[in-house]
Amino acid sequence: MKLRTIGRQVSIAALALAAFATGARAAENECVGKVPVIRVIAQPILTIPFLDKNKGEFEKKWSTKVDIQQFGENERRAKSRLDASQGAGAYQVYYIDEANVAEYATNKWVLPLLDLMPKDWDWNDFLEGRRAVATYKDVAYFAPFEGGGDVMMYRKDLLAAKGLQPPKNLDELKKVVAALNDPPNVYGWSARGRRGSGMNVWRWTPFFRAMGGQWFDGDKPAFNSDIGVKATQYYLDLFKFAPPGSGTNTWSEVIEGFRGGQVGLIVESDVFGPWAEDKTKSRIAGKVGYAPPPEPLPSAGFAHGFAISSKGNPTDCSKTVSADFVAWSTSKDMEARKVKAGILSDFARKSTLDNPDFKAQVNPDYIKALLDTAPKTDLLIWKSPLWPEVGDDLGLQLEEVFTGSQTDIKQALDDAADQASEAIKRAAGQ
Amino acid sequence: MDTADLQAEPSGKLLPRGRFARLALGPPLALLVLMSLPPTIGALLLAFRNVSLMSPGSRWVGFANFARMLTDRRLHNALRISLLWEVVTVAGAVVVAVLLSVLIFESIKGRARDVICLALILPILLPRVSAGLIWRFMYSPLMGVVNYPLQLVGLPPVEYLSQPGTALYAVAVVDIWQWGLFFAVIMLKLLETLPASPLEAARLDHASTWGVHWFVSLPMLRPALITMLFVKAVESLRSFDLIYTMTNGGPGIATETLDLYAYQTGIGMSGRISYAAAMSVLLLILSTIAFSVLWKRSQRWSA
Repeated sequence: MKLRTIGRQVSIAALALAAFATGARAAENECVGKVPVIRVIAQPILTIPFLDKNKGEFEKKWSTKVDIQQFGENERRAKSRLDASQGAGAYQVYYIDEANVAEYATNKWVLPLLDLMPKDWDWNDFLEGRRAVATYKDVAYFAPFEGGGDVMMYRKDLLAAKGLQPPKNLDELKKVVAALNDPPNVYGWSARGRRGSGMNVWRWTPFFRAMGGQWFDGDKPAFNSDIGVKATQYYLDLFKFAPPGSGTNTWSEVIEGFRGGQVGLIVESDVFGPWAEDKTKSRIAGKVGYAPPPEPLPSAGFAHGFAISSKGNPTDCSKTVSADFVAWSTSKDMEARKVKAGILSDFARKSTLDNPDFKAQVNPDYIKALLDTAPKTDLLIWKSPLWPEVGDDLGLQLEEVFTGSQTDIKQALDDAADQASEAIKRAAGQ
Repeated sequence: MDTADLQAEPSGKLLPRGRFARLALGPPLALLVLMSLPPTIGALLLAFRNVSLMSPGSRWVGFANFARMLTDRRLHNALRISLLWEVVTVAGAVVVAVLLSVLIFESIKGRARDVICLALILPILLPRVSAGLIWRFMYSPLMGVVNYPLQLVGLPPVEYLSQPGTALYAVAVVDIWQWGLFFAVIMLKLLETLPASPLEAARLDHASTWGVHWFVSLPMLRPALITMLFVKAVESLRSFDLIYTMTNGGPGIATETLDLYAYQTGIGMSGRISYAAAMSVLLLILSTIAFSVLWKRSQRWSA
């Protein structure tokens, strides 16, 4: 009797599961032509124009128009946050990154990802570092298509001409960039100076953390400590060997200066390695050496990817189509196609590293530097919903220091710490 | 009733002037009120709450946002920069317009003048964002054409947009380049409409060329000049796009005007919508007072 009851229950459960599975497939079929458009907010990294060019196949599958709107990083962040926080739902898919995943997850502006992804999409194929950045409190929120850490890039020819070795530590770094500095022909160094949690703060942070800096001591901001001052002074000293105007550099100006042949050495995000090797745009292709950042600099891990908006997808069909767009655009097949098309900087999957096309096209020194840097790559920013505001306030103070409108580093960091305390208080009181 | 106070109706009947004015002005004024009141009331309501883009809840906080402004160093800087920006761009555009128009009026005639007018109008047709990006590139210390002459003579490049002391003026040059040249064309066309006899009389009295214009033609154009000043002053309050594209308020806060600071606070990373709304209310009040006073004064100057 008991066995029969159990058997009946198992049968009912099996039937229910089968019905659910059939229902899910049916729902997918039912969604064809039901979602006239999905809007995707993005920033123009190489993947995005590639997706835009190939979106026809996705549009055909779902009879849906895909509208990919591209903005600069800060504008993209501001626009998607405005859309999400006001519940406007104008975008169905957000481009998000390490700086805002905590904020979006905490406020439930994006849906947990894995519930909506197809099984064969294979979350475990993504590199551990990318998955860690895309995850907040053990839930994955975005599908990465780009990411990495830092790498030191230097002009092998210039170092060889001066009989220099790539620097292994911060003391050597200063000496090498000073020796390379020969303006106006070539400048020893370049780095981000423009305000922003993802701009100057991002590049300054490894120096701060390398010297033992901590963001907070309990609830109290600690980045205005002596270590913070020392790290800022070191970063500022390096600007003496940078091209004029570097105090307001974005990453784009750093990379263009380097691959334009005007800069001898940089420490930047590793995705820019292939940019320096692009013969159509780089004057220094084939002359670049790669190595992990000098000790004890850690490597700033990051990832960018697509997330599914909660307010932008009010219906099941909208969720299904948006999720399928995310799956399509971050699939193994898409990464392989990007590699074939020569896009070597934007990858997030382990399978891509084993892809023979990738291995054939990428400088082996670069791959070695990536592997050597991996153990010291971590998310170095403060993982909190308040980070964008705190980081931005700090970025403004740093820009004032780098451009000379504030000469008192301690005062600048104190001001940023006061603003951080106020933001925490405000958030607690809300 | 005097017939001068009557206006023709489509049927041929004459309407009293007051009624005609009400009929003509009523619909556009109603539209203006409809379009401007909701955002103004919205900003006012927001300014007394603590709405943030980072969290869904909010509450009434009275004058807390306005009280905070008293100690906000960045806001004080933004007010100072906004005022400086107004003075530099308005004065710069009008001075350039006057000098250039007189120069062209006195030295170039016929078809060449028309061609020059066309060329002078081109910068204003360029979208502000495009103008900002083009000039940002031109100012580049390494690649920009502005620094090229300095490099030719072996001088180090000037970091126009990265130095706190030069950045605002470098952006103002772009604004003046767009508006000053456009106003020069308007001034030139106005000079062409002036009766020739007062100018000839001044010349017969041996007035210099600049004397003729300073003492005769420009006083005759005073109402037009004042209107131009007002138009430019209002326009200069809306230079967000140009400054944002060229410097984003930097270096540091050297070019951060009040509207830019409000944007950074409300829509940028902080997401403090209510504080940004309070700043907008402050800007509204200050500009209303300033323009009312100036308007009153200008009526006296025009007389």
